[in-house]
Amino acid sequence: MTATDRTAPSTSVAPVISVRDAGIRFKRNRRASRSFKDLFAGSNRRKRADEFWALRNVSFDVRPGEAIGVVGRNGQGKSTLLKLVAQVMLPDEGRIRVDAGVAPLIEITGGFVGDLTVRDNVYLTAGLHGMSRAEIRDAFDEIIDFAEIGDFVDTPYKHLSSGMKVRIAFAVISRLDEPVILVDEVLAVGDKSFREKCYKRIEELLSGGRTLFFVSHNDKDLRRFCDRGLYLDKGRLQLDDTIEAALARYAADHGA
Amino acid sequence: MTTASAPTAPATTASTSSRSAGRRYRQALWLLTVRDLRVRYSTSALGYLWSILDPLVMSAIYWFVFTQVFHRGSVGEEPYIVFLLSALLPWMWFTGAVSDSTRAFTKEAKLIRSTTIPRSIWVARVNASKGIEFMLSLPVLAVFAIAAGAHLHWELALYPLAIVLQCALVYGIGLIVAPLVVFFRDLERAVKLVLRFLFYASPIIYGTQALPDRLHDIAALNPLSGIFGLYRSAFFPGQLDWLEVGVSVVVTAVVLAVGLVVFRRSEHRVLKEL
Repeated sequence: MTATDRTAPSTSVAPVISVRDAGIRFKRNRRASRSFKDLFAGSNRRKRADEFWALRNVSFDVRPGEAIGVVGRNGQGKSTLLKLVAQVMLPDEGRIRVDAGVAPLIEITGGFVGDLTVRDNVYLTAGLHGMSRAEIRDAFDEIIDFAEIGDFVDTPYKHLSSGMKVRIAFAVISRLDEPVILVDEVLAVGDKSFREKCYKRIEELLSGGRTLFFVSHNDKDLRRFCDRGLYLDKGRLQLDDTIEAALARYAADHGA
Repeated sequence: MTTASAPTAPATTASTSSRSAGRRYRQALWLLTVRDLRVRYSTSALGYLWSILDPLVMSAIYWFVFTQVFHRGSVGEEPYIVFLLSALLPWMWFTGAVSDSTRAFTKEAKLIRSTTIPRSIWVARVNASKGIEFMLSLPVLAVFAIAAGAHLHWELALYPLAIVLQCALVYGIGLIVAPLVVFFRDLERAVKLVLRFLFYASPIIYGTQALPDRLHDIAALNPLSGIFGLYRSAFFPGQLDWLEVGVSVVVTAVVLAVGLVVFRRSEHRVLKEL
């Protein structure tokens, strides 16, 4: 199945993600002196000498069911954009509205605690992402099956191999019943067969009408999942078109 | 529905239509608190004993020093071990929660970067897990009170008030300390130093009545004076000073208000630093 098989979402539906003139700036030098005055100063003040805008004047809408790929070189703000949409970072200017729950496949192993068992960790992480105990209980076997770690349910998480850790984390987050999925190159890890399994899961979710926001350097993956592409360069949204057009523009700009 | 707008967006959850933000906040807070307690108790054989061993050893030392070595005279009340424990147990909550809140963000950076739960939970959960530990240590106080023959008074009814006040105070301090430590790492050590000073500046090994008159008013400014007085009045009604309680309520309210402002204003910067 390819992305083009799905029916294009109608343009009359209200956007599920709405980004308006969003901008975020970072300090160039993390060791730069910080004073208490700096901390409490309004953020609408002028740009400081040691700061730069990682993203600026970014505006776009995403309608339910769209699959969007974000294209650009390293350090052009792709992951930052994803974090803004996931609302794990807040913009310094502009507005980002997300009208639905988000399943962020970003730093997926972040919530897992080494000293607790896999079972406890599944309940903890899924619970933190908003699933109720009953929902987790119903989904538990499926999550363990998907991760292929049935023998290690009561093993402390820290004793799992790194591949297993990623597998169980992906199994939990991808099982979240949220309308929006954010994927940030997490699939670059794991062995080939598991990666294929992850891709199948994402395609299932997509055909179930989810909205996908996908960051990758891999043209093949981008073409496989996405129908619309955002091309970021120098912290600006340079192009918002089909994924083919975005990839072509990227190739033209950077001679890929 | 959530809206994140620059620059000081309130921490709102990306709640699904079926679940309210309030329920999710409570669920996440509960999960994290249970996780803390479970990690602590599952990784050590003595588990629960550790959380009461610390105040027990401390009280044993102070009891020995002040009743067997030095003669403290009129400082504190009899039985002294109950007098000590009745303030030392809430002090353990206070000092544990405040020093842990210096690492509230840095320790959980990965989890904070990947979930959208309201960021104030990271402060609240430190407070909650230490507060629950405090409650769990109360039977120890009861055992000593019975063994030493201390009498209970109606002021025991003030215990919930003391707990609510302390909860608010610790939360307010956490809201100030946690984000600032992210920017000023030195603050972590400064907080430890201040806590050590505060141990002796608060009525734990003594009561505020034992202070000279000119220090009395200064001691009242310490919000812990009023709070510990409330706790103590259950066994020692003479330790209750409504002026101190009143000052304590005001100071706590101010700390909480400042905390909420600091937290809101620094939240988006904290997220960028993590």
